[in-house]
Amino acid sequence: MKSNRGINGWLLFSPWILTFLIFWMFPLVYSFVISLTDYRLLDPTINWIGFSNYQKLFSDPDFILSLKNSFIFAIGTIPFTTIISLGLALLLNNQFRGRTFFRASYFMPSITSMVVIALIFSNLYARGGYIHLLAQLIGLNPPVNGFLLSQKTALASIMAMDIWMASGYYMLLFLGGLQTIPTELYEAARLSGASRWQQFRHITLPMLKPVTLFIIVINSIKSFQVFIEIFVMTKGGPLNSTFTGVYFVYETGLRQFNFGYASAAAYILFAIIGIVSIIQFKALQTKWQA
Amino acid sequence: MTGKIIKYAFLLLIFFIMIFPLMRMFALSVLTPSGQLSISNFQYIFASNNFGLYLFNSLLVAIVVTFGNIIFCFMCGYVLARRKILGSKFWLYTVLIVLMVPIHIVIIPIYILMNKLGLYDSYWALILPWLVNPIGIFLVRQYVSTLPISLEEAARIDGAGELRILFKIVMPLCRPALAILAIQVFMTNWNSFLFPFILTSSEQYRTLPVALALLLGYQSIDWYQLMAGSVVAVVPIMAVFFVFQRQIISGITEGAFKQ
Repeated sequence: MKSNRGINGWLLFSPWILTFLIFWMFPLVYSFVISLTDYRLLDPTINWIGFSNYQKLFSDPDFILSLKNSFIFAIGTIPFTTIISLGLALLLNNQFRGRTFFRASYFMPSITSMVVIALIFSNLYARGGYIHLLAQLIGLNPPVNGFLLSQKTALASIMAMDIWMASGYYMLLFLGGLQTIPTELYEAARLSGASRWQQFRHITLPMLKPVTLFIIVINSIKSFQVFIEIFVMTKGGPLNSTFTGVYFVYETGLRQFNFGYASAAAYILFAIIGIVSIIQFKALQTKWQA
Repeated sequence: MTGKIIKYAFLLLIFFIMIFPLMRMFALSVLTPSGQLSISNFQYIFASNNFGLYLFNSLLVAIVVTFGNIIFCFMCGYVLARRKILGSKFWLYTVLIVLMVPIHIVIIPIYILMNKLGLYDSYWALILPWLVNPIGIFLVRQYVSTLPISLEEAARIDGAGELRILFKIVMPLCRPALAILAIQVFMTNWNSFLFPFILTSSEQYRTLPVALALLLGYQSIDWYQLMAGSVVAVVPIMAVFFVFQRQIISGITEGAFKQ
């Protein structure tokens, strides 16, 4: 009976082990292996070249530019998304009429496919699109051919769309975090005469640490993986101004079929994401513990 | 009172900002370039752009993957919660680590793998890699751990077989967790773009998001038809959202806090 149950356990668990080995473990290892070769789709001879792909990447201006753009994207979006979504959560945390309605509607963009969002904003940002018209109306002098065709505004426009799209989602996470704060804490604070700002500063913010950390880490991982919006809206242009890390991997790997080189780039991105997440964990933890 | 008015004005302003782009999509989809109300955009994309096929493909893939996840994540999560298999701690940590590996790193190897296996450009390529997902396993594991074990033991004493206990007794009890899982998997797969785009090339296996992204690349842009296509891609997921709003929202917060 006992041993029989043991066998069943493995049998039940095997779907995950199989998909894990075939679609995660193998690709992860394989990707590293081919990053050490000059594997190209159309070239039958594959040579070991050690780490020279990695070396070459760090002197490849396109790759450096793509990393730079990825960093700009992360640094430019994360603070806004975090602050806006926290603001929305605070706004919607109290009981009032219509709360569920507002919560659901702010969340709407997050359930829509990124392709569709990117299409809609391509229209709004284009010359004569509503955002373009609005910018003209308030005297901002937007680029003549629309926001996505100007080197100066293309990346910033995609970033703004991203903030718009993600805020509702992170708002929900913050709302969940706010609900875990015991109300007694606020009552005690009120009794000792703490102002609303003091309550926010000394109760709400510290109690939201874990969620905030989670959101910042998830958000930066996502920023380094931005692809769909670039593919749909600008294809990396104009003049490479929106050429980001994953787009580089796609371009070299799946358009030029330079598998070895692209895999090395993917691994560098992977390492950067790992390092950034670890730094964020450490920095935020120590800062908050003090 | 004025405070209240200001608050509602502010809420409505944000509401407008959040909803406006989607409204614009719906509006364009039912207009003609000359500004008349018409369903001709929809007729056109279904007649000459094969949107019926893409809709079918999207539905098929999302539904099969959702069912796969309900069954497989349930089995795996149950094992992690209840059974002592070799290295169950190891598997639990593996599940969590896989959650953190960025997906772009496997794009190229999976592309090569699918080609070598002869599965490139087929439904298999769209379905197989996603049949079990680590978040789902984790969700079920957490849920099963909170269930009392006595029911399973009682059934075992009554002589029920393992599979019967698993699927007839434990699975129905897990319905809330599985519902959340199903909704999330359906939404993710319905909206998924990168892998369907990379792993298929022919029209026969194209899904809605891929079809839309490719449509933009062609000729001069017809925003009206493009927005009609977008509406087709968005309406099913909005319907799911309105029906399961509560579960979706609790699912997202649970995913973040149960760890």
